[in-house]
Amino acid sequence: MELEAKIPKGPLPEKWDRHRFELKLVNPANKRKFDIIVVGTGLAGGSASAALAELGYNVKTFCIQDSPRRAHSIAAQGGINAAKNYTNEGDSIWRLFYDTVKGGDFRAREANVYRLAQISNAIIDHCTAQGVPFAREYGGLLANRSFGGAQVARTFYARGQTGQQLLLGAYSAMMRQVAAGRVRMFPRREMLDLVVVDGRARGIVVRSLLTGEMETHLGHAVVLATGGYGNVYFLSTNAMSSNVTAAFRCYKRGAFFANPCFTQIHPTCIPVHGTYQSKLTLMSESLRNDGRVWVPLQAGDRRRPGDIPESERDYYLERRYPSFGNLVPRDVASRAAKAMCDAGKGVGETGLAVYLDFKDAIARDGRAVIEKKYGNLFQMYEKITGEDPYETPMMIYPAVHYTMGGLWVDYNLMSTVDGLFVLGEANFSDHGANRLGASALMQGLADGYFIIPYTIGGYLATASLESLSETHPAVQEAKAASVQRIHALLSVNGRRTVDDFHRELGRIMWDYCGMSRNNSGLEKARERIRILRGEFWENVKVPEGNETLNQSLERAGRVADFLEFAELMIIDALARQESCGGHFNEAYQTPDNEALRDDAQFCHVAAWEYQGDDREPAFHKEPLVFENVALAQRSYK
Amino acid sequence: MKKSISLTLKVWRQAGSTEKGSFETYAVKDISTDMSFLEMLDVLNEDLTREGKPPIAFDHDCREGICGMCGAVVNGRPHGPEKGTTLCQLHMRHFSDNDELVIEPWRSRAFPVVKDLVVDRSPLERIIIAGGYISVNTGSAPEANSLPVPQEAAEKAMDAAACIGCGACVAACPNGSAMLFTSAKISHLALLPQGRPEAARRAIGMVQEMDRLGFGNCSNITECQVECPKEVSISNIARLNREFMKAWLAADEK
Amino acid sequence: MAWVLKFFVSSVGRKLLMAGTGLCFVLFLTTHLAGNLLLYRGGDVFNAYAARLHSLGPLLTIFELGLLALALVHVVFGLWLFYENDRARPVKYAVKKSGGGQTWGSATMPYTGVLMLAFVIYHLIRFHFVDKTNIPIYEIVKAAFQNSFEVALYVAAMGVVALHVSHGFWSAFQTLGAHHTKYTPIIKAAGLIFSMVVGIGFGFIPIYMRLL
Ligand SMILES: Cc1cc2nc3c(=O)[nH]c(=O)nc-3n(C[C@H](O)[C@H](O)[C@H](O)COP(=O)(O)OP(=O)(O)OC[C@H]3O[C@@H](n4cnc5c(N)ncnc54)[C@H](O)[C@@H]3O)c2cc1C
Ligand code: HEM
Ligand code: FES
Repeated sequence: MELEAKIPKGPLPEKWDRHRFELKLVNPANKRKFDIIVVGTGLAGGSASAALAELGYNVKTFCIQDSPRRAHSIAAQGGINAAKNYTNEGDSIWRLFYDTVKGGDFRAREANVYRLAQISNAIIDHCTAQGVPFAREYGGLLANRSFGGAQVARTFYARGQTGQQLLLGAYSAMMRQVAAGRVRMFPRREMLDLVVVDGRARGIVVRSLLTGEMETHLGHAVVLATGGYGNVYFLSTNAMSSNVTAAFRCYKRGAFFANPCFTQIHPTCIPVHGTYQSKLTLMSESLRNDGRVWVPLQAGDRRRPGDIPESERDYYLERRYPSFGNLVPRDVASRAAKAMCDAGKGVGETGLAVYLDFKDAIARDGRAVIEKKYGNLFQMYEKITGEDPYETPMMIYPAVHYTMGGLWVDYNLMSTVDGLFVLGEANFSDHGANRLGASALMQGLADGYFIIPYTIGGYLATASLESLSETHPAVQEAKAASVQRIHALLSVNGRRTVDDFHRELGRIMWDYCGMSRNNSGLEKARERIRILRGEFWENVKVPEGNETLNQSLERAGRVADFLEFAELMIIDALARQESCGGHFNEAYQTPDNEALRDDAQFCHVAAWEYQGDDREPAFHKEPLVFENVALAQRSYK
Repeated sequence: MKKSISLTLKVWRQAGSTEKGSFETYAVKDISTDMSFLEMLDVLNEDLTREGKPPIAFDHDCREGICGMCGAVVNGRPHGPEKGTTLCQLHMRHFSDNDELVIEPWRSRAFPVVKDLVVDRSPLERIIIAGGYISVNTGSAPEANSLPVPQEAAEKAMDAAACIGCGACVAACPNGSAMLFTSAKISHLALLPQGRPEAARRAIGMVQEMDRLGFGNCSNITECQVECPKEVSISNIARLNREFMKAWLAADEK
Repeated sequence: MAWVLKFFVSSVGRKLLMAGTGLCFVLFLTTHLAGNLLLYRGGDVFNAYAARLHSLGPLLTIFELGLLALALVHVVFGLWLFYENDRARPVKYAVKKSGGGQTWGSATMPYTGVLMLAFVIYHLIRFHFVDKTNIPIYEIVKAAFQNSFEVALYVAAMGVVALHVSHGFWSAFQTLGAHHTKYTPIIKAAGLIFSMVVGIGFGFIPIYMRLL
């Protein structure tokens, strides 16, 4: 199968306009005849539900949580980028585009990223109109701060709760449509399968998490916005229910999975401190605006931070990257921290941490200013660690945070299954091999508010979709398969708990497919994953039954999919014999240990096609063509 | 400080909304004081699962105090004894060895128990559906900086918008009132110029819906603001009262 | 006019009625106290005050009927709210603990309210609906307070009033929408002072009369 990205012709800045003109429109009166299924209520799914309903479509929306407002997007802290250039530093759509492509280590599609930068400003306008309380200057105009990977301040924020406020904006827009009767909300539902009829996505199978009932919902198109799969590592900054199940089930129904090995390890998280730990907490990257990262110069220096004099500290980011300093992109900062800890300079009980110090910033701006900017983050840090970051430097360490990989989509955000659109973190589209801070929120909202409303129309206007009933064999087959799977999970009745398996899988992935990778480790991981998967299906213990709220059963289904999906990540990592962005293969590095790309062989998107449970997935290549930016070795020096 | 503690837990167990519930007692040992409260429950649940007993159902998701999914009443205090803290952010270092903790679900007529510590908070959503939004269609917004908002107003709006919808205010209120939740949304939007055009409609719509759902009424007892994990202030309730009065008095309808 | 009805049966509307009527009672208590303090000046002054008051004739009746109406509203709505609030939590907590927001006053509003209602009825029977043709009111009061039980009852009742008003005063302002970082603490303090003045002012009268 040929991967057709459907990138419009013409000069980069004109592509999107031209494409919107060329897309067929659905007659306004006909829109209400189309039922659209949206899975996920994060920024991507929430905004899509609202925007599609505003246009008059009939929308059915699903989420796992008890309310759409609790989707994982709520946890985003730092901010959202836009090319407004309010700070007069010379920002522009082009610069945002360029920074994002470069930040992604030249593994994203130019046209998509450019469109994202173009739309960014409209997002800020729309969210402001919705009542998102962005930070403001005394004059009443919007404030900006800087984020990693950029030399201009273009990030809009609402304290340290930007994701929450943007999501509440999308949520309220959606609730307005619920009131109008155009969105029907189905919370506490988990999508377990995609219904494909005649090659087209026509519906989903969901399990009601309260009653265990298996439901099918049919429509004319399915919009998947189910977020990222960072929880394959067990410990990550993702919410507990974040999963790959929905995306992976679509993969099994024919949607290609792109670049699954591209995961982002965020440099500023609270270090791990015990085996019981259930998740990791991010300390927003915005902290690197004012905090300085350092370790003791001497390996094994066990003195308290306050006792280490200036001359015996190594501000290694400032030293190694004088022009970006503490604001280098995430992958660079994370690897640098790992390198320091590997060299024995790590601090804290485990030696797996570096300092993030605010002493100078507090001395310069005063405590009040710092408190205003980061108050809630400092408070959160203190709650978790019991230490006061105003007094003693924070300790941070990298943690899994975001997944750039996802279902492959074309320029219209449609996957390789017709009628299945994929939005937000669940798709692979815009961030290449590394995502810059404050650009996931931008992408989720761009996809939902400003792209899908047009491109779905283009699909619906041209596809001829027959009416479909629940009794169609494809519907019944998908439903039966899901029922069967639940039954299988419940009937193993072994001795190990679901979390036990998940924790072990996470350990394997972190050790061998984490911040740095090598071929033999990856091979080993693959073998161990297979064994673990085998044991899972023989020895997992899932208590209680199907007909009740059964949280262990929910987790079991997700972990079962992670166990299969993890292998796909490894396959992808092995296939990509280069280093780029978040994928760092130790065999490919520059003399000063930066990622070394191989553009001749790997300047492409790797898209994987499911071939059956016991067969290798098929590899498909979408070459990346750079007509507007020169492929360069990333340098933040 | 001791690094690990042992506790006696009395946990409300209820198999389903129509079933009768009761307290079960569990002894948990060697709980690290660095654990969060939910991690402590995880440990207990792992043990229960291995013993073939049903684990305790409790809602949670972000585990960093922002999604509003978690929550239980611990020794009479919603989200436990720490100020400005959700249950997932509550760490065991705040408890002592051999403490006895009574853990109950939110109690409110409007929030029926679903299972164990899980309750149905959908009435809060009904309140939002009744007007907790600004009616702006995608695509129609003016340039963001065309309407300045005084920093102070934006900050106050943000204070109110920080509500995570966890329902602790209802759980804490001796009257089971949802006024803090409702007032937080009404205030957030009323404080911004963007929210003014619909302020009257919103205030009336949301209050009427709140009244319909079986919550109690506010007596200004202020337990809500004390227990709110985001420390949302009752000044928002006063603002709701003002907005509601203004709305009724100024409305044209007879 | 339907809007008026709808307004005053809404939760906020009912609260506004409670606040409005409650504040009227606060005013009434103030004047009532001012009048009663004249008891300290002896029988002649007090009886003269009472006579002047009664010479207002129909005006006084209107005033009394007004008070009765306010009382009806305050009591009926107060009990209605109390009933609803109680029903809002059908299953109570096994462990009840305050986070520190609630005060004795706020926790007991409906109970202090009902006690006050009982007291007011008793009070009216005792001093209002009595035959005053032959004995001046001062003598009636004095005679009543020769009984230690009666003194204790009155003092206790005034404690209850003080408790009710200690929360009611600032609460009424909050209900009316008056909340401000600068002024709310002042209103709260004023409420406490007022409740103490009322409690001690009224409460000391029976003791004084007993000792006379
Ligand atoms: C701690 C943290 C901080 C971050 N900070 C920033 C930041 O400052 N700036 C930035 O740009 N980005 C940030 N990010 C990244 C960003 O938040 C996410 O990438 C983005 O919010 C993802 O949005 P989404 O809509 O794609 O998915 P999500 O918000 O993850 O939503 C997924 C939705 O899908 C539903 N769902 C999932 N699986 C199923 C299923 N099987 N069936 C039914 N429903 C399902 C869920 O219920 C949920 O509603 C941060 C991420 C984290 C973890
Ligand atoms: C001199 C007599 C009284 C005075 C001065 C008085 C004053 C007040 C005031 C100022 C309030 C506060 C209103 C608000 O919070 O908005 C209040 C509330 C209340 N009063 Fe009274 N009151 C009196 C008598 C009574 C009586 C006789 C009852 C009998 C039932 C009563 C029951 C209540 C109740 C239940 C409330 C709380 C309402 C709520 O907030 O839910 N009061 N009172
Ligand atoms: S789990 Fe999200 S607030 Fe506690």
